[in-house]
Order: sequence, then C-alpha cells, then structure tokens
Amino acid sequence: MNAAADQAAADPAQSVLRPVELLTFMAEVSQKLAVSVDLSRTLRESTAYVAEYLDAEAVSVFLMDPGGDMLECRACQGPVDILGLRIPVGQGIVGRTVASRSCQMVRDAYADPDFSEQVDGATGFRTRSVLCAPLATAQGVIGAIEVINKRGGRLFDQADMTALRLLAAPMVLALNVARMAEELVEQNRIRRELGMARRLQRSLLPRRRRGPYPLRAINLSAREISGDFYDFFDLPDGRIAFTVGDVAGKGLDAAFLMVRCASLLRWAGKGGLRPADWLAQVNDELGEAIAAGMFVCAVAGHYDPATRTAVWANAGFPPLLRVAGNGETTQYDAEAPPLGILRRLSFPEQGCDLSEASLYLYSDGVTDVRNDAGEALGVSGVVALLQRLECLAPEPRMRALVRNLRALQVTDDITLMLVSGYASNCEACLLDHSFPAQPGELAGMRRALAAALARAGVDAALRQALVLAVDEASSNIIRHGHGGSSQALVQLKLRREGNELVFELLDEAPLADASRLRPRDLSECRPGGLGLNFIDRVMDRWSLTPRQDGPGNRLEMVKRIEPEGARA
Amino acid sequence: MSLCQTHIEGDTATVVLGGEVDLSWSSQVRREVLTALSRAPKVAINLAQVSYIDSSGIAALVEGFQNARGKGQPFELVEVSPAVLAVLKLARLDRVFTIREADED
Repeated sequence: MNAAADQAAADPAQSVLRPVELLTFMAEVSQKLAVSVDLSRTLRESTAYVAEYLDAEAVSVFLMDPGGDMLECRACQGPVDILGLRIPVGQGIVGRTVASRSCQMVRDAYADPDFSEQVDGATGFRTRSVLCAPLATAQGVIGAIEVINKRGGRLFDQADMTALRLLAAPMVLALNVARMAEELVEQNRIRRELGMARRLQRSLLPRRRRGPYPLRAINLSAREISGDFYDFFDLPDGRIAFTVGDVAGKGLDAAFLMVRCASLLRWAGKGGLRPADWLAQVNDELGEAIAAGMFVCAVAGHYDPATRTAVWANAGFPPLLRVAGNGETTQYDAEAPPLGILRRLSFPEQGCDLSEASLYLYSDGVTDVRNDAGEALGVSGVVALLQRLECLAPEPRMRALVRNLRALQVTDDITLMLVSGYASNCEACLLDHSFPAQPGELAGMRRALAAALARAGVDAALRQALVLAVDEASSNIIRHGHGGSSQALVQLKLRREGNELVFELLDEAPLADASRLRPRDLSECRPGGLGLNFIDRVMDRWSLTPRQDGPGNRLEMVKRIEPEGARA
Repeated sequence: MSLCQTHIEGDTATVVLGGEVDLSWSSQVRREVLTALSRAPKVAINLAQVSYIDSSGIAALVEGFQNARGKGQPFELVEVSPAVLAVLKLARLDRVFTIREADED
C-alpha cells in the first residue's frame, strides 16, 4: 500500500491513476455527500471536491430541466459565474456528453466543432481543455459535470477522466437523495394544504344535533377531500331543510365544485323555497359556470316534525328509501337528471309520511361497498341492512350502519342521512313484541328478545340471564294472571335509556297485588317461587303498577349496562 | 325439539332431557322424574342437550331431588349443559344437587 502511494506521489505528471489516494478521497467525498440532503449544498460541495481533486480552474454541474430538453447550470466553481446558463441538450460539449451518455475529453476546446465561444467571449475567460462526465441514474442521464482547464497549463489525461467518472457516481446518488428529499418536502406541503382543504370542507357540514333531533347524517371520505356533502338547517316555521349531494369525480375539481354547490344550496334554501324551485334555482346558477363533464347529483327537501311528513326533489341522486317500523320498504327513484348539465329543468317533488318510519338518503358510495368477492352491496343490500337495523334508535342505528359498511370494502365517499319520524319519547325502541298469554308462545318471545339484545350489543352471558328473567315474568303472568292460558295479549317492549335497558311487560290480567310478590329465601330448598328470585337477581330494579292505558298490569324491569363507548 | 325419555339400566333410571325446558312442558318433565324414582332405586337426569331451562323446570328437578332424599334414593344430575349450570348457579342450587360431569362407568 505504502509502496503504491509513494509511487503515485513520486509521479508529478499524474499520468497514472493513484488508486490509494483516489480511494481515500472517494470515501471522504461519498461520506460527505451521503449525509447531505440539501440539493444546492450538495452541488456546491461536489463541485468544490472535483475542482480540488482534479486541480481544475473551473467546475460546473448542469442538470436537465423537468422538460428534458434543456440543461441548466445549477452549480459552479471558478472565476466565471455561469449559474443559470441554459444549453439545449445536444449542443456544446456538455450537451454532447448528455446526448451520448459518455465521458468527453477535449484537449483543445477551440478545435472542437461543438465548443461554444459565447461564454469566453462575454467574460474574457479562456477555455483550453475540457473534461465532461454524464450524471447517469437508473432512470437515465440527469445532467453532466464539466471540468475546465487543469491548473498550470497542464492537460487532462486518462487518469483524470477515470477519476471524474468515479466521482460522478456518489454525486448522482447524493443528487438523487437530495431530489427525493425535495419531493418529500413538496409532498408534505401538498398534504398540509389538502389537510387545510379537508378542514374547510368539514367546516361546511352542519354540527351534529344532540338529543331527539329527527335528522342524523354522516360523511366518510375515501380520500383527504370529498366530493360528497350534506346539510340541514331549521326554517323559521319549524320545518327542517335538508340537502345531500355527490359531485361527479373525486379530485380537487370535484372538491371545489362540492364547496360551491353546497354553498349555493344553503343560500337558496334559507328562504324555505319549495324543493322543486330550490333545485331549479341552484341548477340554473350552477349551469352558468361549470366545467364541461362535471355535474352534481343532489336531493333537497323539507321535513316537518309537526306532521311527520317529508317532501323533496331528487336530481339524479340514488333512490331514497322509506323503511317502516315493521320493515316495509318503499323506494323513491330520482325523476330528474343531475344538476349542472342542462339549465331550465324542472325537478318533480316526491314525499311521504314518516309516522313510525325512517327516510334514508345515501350517496352511491354506500351501494358501491364491496364484499370479499368484489360484489357491490347494491340497493337491495342497503335495503336488507336497513331493515335489519330499523329497530335501533337513530343514533345507534347510524353507528351500526357505518360499522356494517366499514366491515366491507369502501371505495368511494360515503354519505348517509337519516330522517326519523319516530316519536322522540322512545329513545331507543329495541323490541315491541306481543304474544298470546300461552306457555307455547314463550319460546318465540325468548328468541325475539335474544335477537334484540344481541343487536343492542349485549354479551351472551347477560343476554341469557335477561331472557330468563323476562321469561320468568311472562310465565308468572300466564300462570297467575291468566290461569295458565289465555287468548289475551302480553306486550313486551324493550328500550334503551342511556345506560339502562328497560323491559316493559303489559298484560290484560286482573290487577296483581305487588305487595304479595316476594321472592323466596334461597336457603330453603323447595320447588316453587324461584322465578321472582331470578328476576330480582338479574335485574337492578323492577316495579309492578296498574296499566295507564287500560285494564291490566305493567311490569317494568330495569338493567344497567356498561356505556356503549366502554365496549370494544 | 323437546326431549324427555327414560332409560333403565341395572338399578339406575336415566331421564334424558333436551331442548328448551319451560312452562309449556315442564309439568311433563316433573311427571317423568317422579315416575323414574318409582321405577328404579337410583335416578340420574341427563341434561346435556338442554339449551334452556326456566324456574318451572328447575322446580321439577328440585321436587325429584327432595322426593329421592325422603326415600334415601340416590339422585344426580349428569352432563349438565352450560345453560342449565348458569341457572342452577343463579338459584344457588349448584351445591345442592349431586352433579356428575359425564358417565364414568
């Protein structure tokens, strides 16, 4: 090693490659470049290293511009500042290096046909010899490094060219890293701005109303920004105005159109215009300026809580579904094309009664969710899902809907709106099951109750105990109230009030004397009287009172359950 | 799905119950248990296939147990299903009855 270094140092003409010195230098350069992520600093440092090692008067780095047809000087060392100088690919010695993807060594620049005297002429600098190496990546040549005039009037030689080629390699790596870092910074900036756009979009959505408000809506966007929107607001006469829309496309243009359309709909709907006129006005306004091929599917309507009726107009939006408490479903298809396609259109109104029923509005992202086999849920799938969940109170129903949809593959924005026409005093009617007071009817009641409890998220062990307690109460009604069997009906209602499940059993039997109902002492082992004991042990409290709505008894049993949020 | 059958083998009568034992047929279970006590010196009630039992079903078992004890007859519950065991525990009867995991013979 030492012998080789000595030999290289002993050769002042540097006509042979000095492997050890070059390797040491390369290692140093590579290490310094490897930690640099700043593109201009990387370039500055690279040119300085090359100038030092090759003992050159000037060094410059040219990089291809994004168009790929011009080379621009991005860094230079030496007496002349040519930063920003642009050369077409294929022109000059630099251009030739890039076009041919090979190192160029020119011992007499003025004799080279490609040499441009422009810079020398403008600055008084005298170019004698040139060494130029391409900066090549796996994706192609990204530029070139040019070295001009070896100091002391000497000429570049083969060893210099090899050294330059070797030095170019870590430079390219460093440039790539710096470029990726720049791209990353740019991506982060775009992400931040998309985040801001997303917050702006979300701020357009109305605040969720707590309590028994008849409207609930939810929007889940598949990407940062959404093409879907919904809105609702109270009109002075007590009606609630609502809109749901879906802008064609998913990009920024769709997001901008969504913002514009949502604002227009809110502005036009404030005065309580009839839905037909409301959509017509927005359609005309949108049509004045809308990009070709863009449109908006939307519904605008009113719900009147006093009469529990809804009226709306549908512009190309998926069908609205009315689901009654008994599961009966009616579908209302759009009768007008989407907004923004043609001006001066009319938008026919549709309507329905929502007493003990719900109206659902959903964007096509809902029907487009896929199962594992890639099959879309479709309107029929949505109907089946809604019928299954109809017994839940609006808030848990929406949550269950979203849970069910998220269990599938969601590909598009999802927007759901629910208009609930149920009486608001029943916060969560989980079950309403009537059966004749006969022992043979108990099994059916138990099944209905177990299913309702399962839907409400009650775990299996508690479910079993609750079913037993209600079964015991029902058995007692049949045995003691109706003498073993009767055609009279027993009504079981289950509802949720906050963290409590409330079981209500209404019978038509002669009044029972609550004071005589006492659970038996478990320490004595005898056959009868266990039922009340089960009820006592399973439920947190119960009370037996005369029915208010007619003859008979009302047994209310209450069980505390853990809050919904506490469950996984 | 209700099942209520008695098999006699040697000195033991085994009443095999299955399905949902509730008010609609627990009286039949009661009769079957009491009859078994009169037909064999030892009685076992197999509850493996019982998916539900209410207090009237439990009462039939308690009555059988008390009857047997009065006459000094062995009376045991075998292969008690989880659903039945939960109700027995609720009534704190799981320590009153002789409960056998499975047929060990």
